[in-house]
Amino acid sequence: MCDTCGCGTPGEAVTYRKHGDKLHHHGDSLLHTHDHNHDHTHIRSIAVEQDILGENSLQAQRNRGYFEAKNIFTVNLVSSPGSGKTTLLEKTLSDLEGVPCAVIEGDQQTMNDADRIAATGVPVLQINTGNGCHLDADMVHTACGELELEDNSLLFIENVGNLICPALFDLGEDKRVVIISVTEGDDKPEKYPTMFDAADICIINKIDLLPHVQFDVQKCRERALQVNHHLKFFEISATSGEGLPAWNTWLRENIKKQH
Amino acid sequence: MHEMSIAMNIVDIACKEAQSEGASTISIIELDVGKLAGVMIDSLKFCYDSVCKNTLAEGSELVINEISGSGHCLDCATEFEIDSFMALCPNCESYKVDINQGRELRLKAVTVN
Repeated sequence: MCDTCGCGTPGEAVTYRKHGDKLHHHGDSLLHTHDHNHDHTHIRSIAVEQDILGENSLQAQRNRGYFEAKNIFTVNLVSSPGSGKTTLLEKTLSDLEGVPCAVIEGDQQTMNDADRIAATGVPVLQINTGNGCHLDADMVHTACGELELEDNSLLFIENVGNLICPALFDLGEDKRVVIISVTEGDDKPEKYPTMFDAADICIINKIDLLPHVQFDVQKCRERALQVNHHLKFFEISATSGEGLPAWNTWLRENIKKQH
Repeated sequence: MHEMSIAMNIVDIACKEAQSEGASTISIIELDVGKLAGVMIDSLKFCYDSVCKNTLAEGSELVINEISGSGHCLDCATEFEIDSFMALCPNCESYKVDINQGRELRLKAVTVN
């Protein structure tokens, strides 16, 4: 049943949970309408001229203002499923010990990623999007309310593993980071250009596996730069730790810049 | 499939506009969609019909004006039409191209009764 008006339309199934929490719901469905009493019969055109994602962009700007006021540097991590986002986060959080951090995890189902992050001792909130294929700015807003973020801190948002849909949804982050692992094809930037176009940073992950796979790092970088010549790169192995110091330094520098 | 969220936003905006005008039905929703907007028009049309059910827009027509892409080269300032993010400058063959047009995703107008 819809939780806005009590009619028969199902409400959204997005849930927000901290590690160990029971399930509770937020969000409402705005789409359906009800009988309407007016009786007008003339056909007319109304000029609307509205950005279709305008509502999301507006909420993203509100989030951005909130992050700025609290001096929180926010990173939105996007990639295909299995690129190693959560492992990278675990390693990064342990390397950044002493820096106040928080994590928002986005997945369709399960608390698995939030449980892994909670084990590092960092505050984390899991958003389960149900059938949703991406996080949106409103979900991040709700999650921030639950997390009680510290001033002068670092917020990581691990988006739903999907190299297409999250590209279109601004969350209010400072930087969008696209991660590609060397077990994927080096032509990913060419195949999924919208995401690479929308990113600021590209992490090439699992570089410890390069001797075993046919992945041409140089070619991948060139293709990514052809899509978006503003991209900055990090080559990392979250497992072996190679390349992590440069990434951690970049994060620390950005926190300092915020001050 | 983000086209579903986009279809929901479209119908939501259109219904609000129609209601504020006191209209009882929507017959046409008109969009501007850029070629680089990251939206698959076929998927959007597919989602649209199911999202319209039980709304003022049920049975309405979706009209999409496709907006072509254009960009300018940062190396030689040439402006040219582009149809992908991997845009090569036809003058100096540089990939340092910034996009001017083609990301539009706009609800232009609704026809109501």
